[in-house]
Amino acid sequence: MPKYLLLFRDSTESRAKPSPEEMQALQTAWYAWMQKYSSAIVGGDGLKPSGRVIKAGVVTDGPYVEAKEVIASFSMIQAENLAAAVAIARDCPGQYTGKFAHTIEIRELGGYA
Amino acid sequence: MSEPRALVEHFFRHEFGRLVAVLTRSLGVRRLELAEDVVQAALTQALQTWSRRGVPEDAAGWLYRTARNLAIDALRREQIHAKALPHLAEVGDGEGESLPPETHFADEIGDEPLRLLFVCCHEEVPAESRVAIALRMLCGFGTAEIARALLTTEVNVQKRIERARDRLRELEVDFDTPDAAQLRARLDAVLAVVYLLFSQGCYATHGDMPIRRDLCDEARRLARMLAAHPVGDVPVVHALLALMCFHAARFDARVALDGAIVLLEEQDRSAWNWNDVREGMAWLARSAAGDQLTRYHLEAGIAWEHCRAASFADTDWRRIAELYDALDRIAPSPLYSLNRAVAEAYLHGPQAGLDRLAAVPLESVPARYPGWHAVIGEFHFRLGQHAPAASAWQEALRLTAARADQEFLRRRIAACRPDGGEPRVGGTFE
Repeated sequence: MPKYLLLFRDSTESRAKPSPEEMQALQTAWYAWMQKYSSAIVGGDGLKPSGRVIKAGVVTDGPYVEAKEVIASFSMIQAENLAAAVAIARDCPGQYTGKFAHTIEIRELGGYA
Repeated sequence: MSEPRALVEHFFRHEFGRLVAVLTRSLGVRRLELAEDVVQAALTQALQTWSRRGVPEDAAGWLYRTARNLAIDALRREQIHAKALPHLAEVGDGEGESLPPETHFADEIGDEPLRLLFVCCHEEVPAESRVAIALRMLCGFGTAEIARALLTTEVNVQKRIERARDRLRELEVDFDTPDAAQLRARLDAVLAVVYLLFSQGCYATHGDMPIRRDLCDEARRLARMLAAHPVGDVPVVHALLALMCFHAARFDARVALDGAIVLLEEQDRSAWNWNDVREGMAWLARSAAGDQLTRYHLEAGIAWEHCRAASFADTDWRRIAELYDALDRIAPSPLYSLNRAVAEAYLHGPQAGLDRLAAVPLESVPARYPGWHAVIGEFHFRLGQHAPAASAWQEALRLTAARADQEFLRRRIAACRPDGGEPRVGGTFE
């Protein structure tokens, strides 16, 4: 089955900070998502905010300064086809509530499987 | 991928409070805001990570390590780490890393939130700011949530928190400073905050929820924390805990399935939480040590009388009236007068209740308090005086913002009409 990488980009705009209780509500929704698609989810992780960017041999702190969105986390899933992968991504919590809105990029792995 | 785990209720909120307290210990009270930012960032990172790979076994430890590392990063950037850094770095490092949080931060967790509570209740912090900052720093409530709880605007809450933070910074309060004597001196202010939290939750004057359990639970959590510490293990704290337990026991019975308020008189006493009653009794027994008689003792005594009565008819109104009289002597309040009048009405009839209220000096009448008018309405209604009853209830309805109370009052007003059907028995606004 083809594998897909879901890249979650969070906005860097400083908005109203979600309260811990709101964050927990979202975490609970993610828990349900993970359970629902446990057979499709291969792995994933969050990314620490600070890192380095190398461009034309120049190393800088990054990626935060100029970017409007940064990749905050990723998931690897397997699905029948792109449409099925999109359906799983569309079912992710928090996409329609202003405070937590994120962009999800869905890319099929080149692979040799 | 292993089966994802769910978090216990309020995990993020409670960890927020715990971590802010622990980090403030290392960073100093003047960097309270940094501690708050760092903890917020750690929670955000947790959300992003746990949403992808599940909640780790040692979720609290994970949060702590993340927050600590973020704090060290922030200090490095500020280059002010010389003093605080060694302290931060040594905690939780090395082999202890994989131990459950209770073991490896045993020293820290026990006292820090309590210490921060006493810092928040510093006499130089304006009283209205104390509750706001305690709710933020210790209980992890968001600005909007605090605004709803304290019936004010988010802008106001923000201002109150900033004022408290600024004041604490100016005063250069050190987290370690309050010694036992100072803590004791500040205990009254701390108890006032806890009591306000509880009553704000109990008698929510706003919105859809008749009882805001979260606030009541937080108040009890803080008070239990107090009682577990030598400074707070004193009769006045036990009395406050008893009072809260007796009230909490009746929460479930106080709200009907449709969200309406059920009066004490009509409550199903078997639906009371007897574990809470038992806990309250244990605290009440301990509160009797010593010779101090506080308003919390007397209020606990009244709440106990209600819990003790096998049925509403068995209520010992004479004893309750005595307790209200005693309260009125040590802490006069029109609300005590109101409840005293209710007790009087049960002892000697509704006219006696009305007479008591009429005797309250005009300048002390809480004219904007809906409960005042509601009780007057009830007395008139029971005397068969439907017109004055309806107008008192109209006034109460005009003043109340809580939906459950509004619904209750509308039903009472309807009962005043000639076709109002069965005149239901009312009760106290207990």
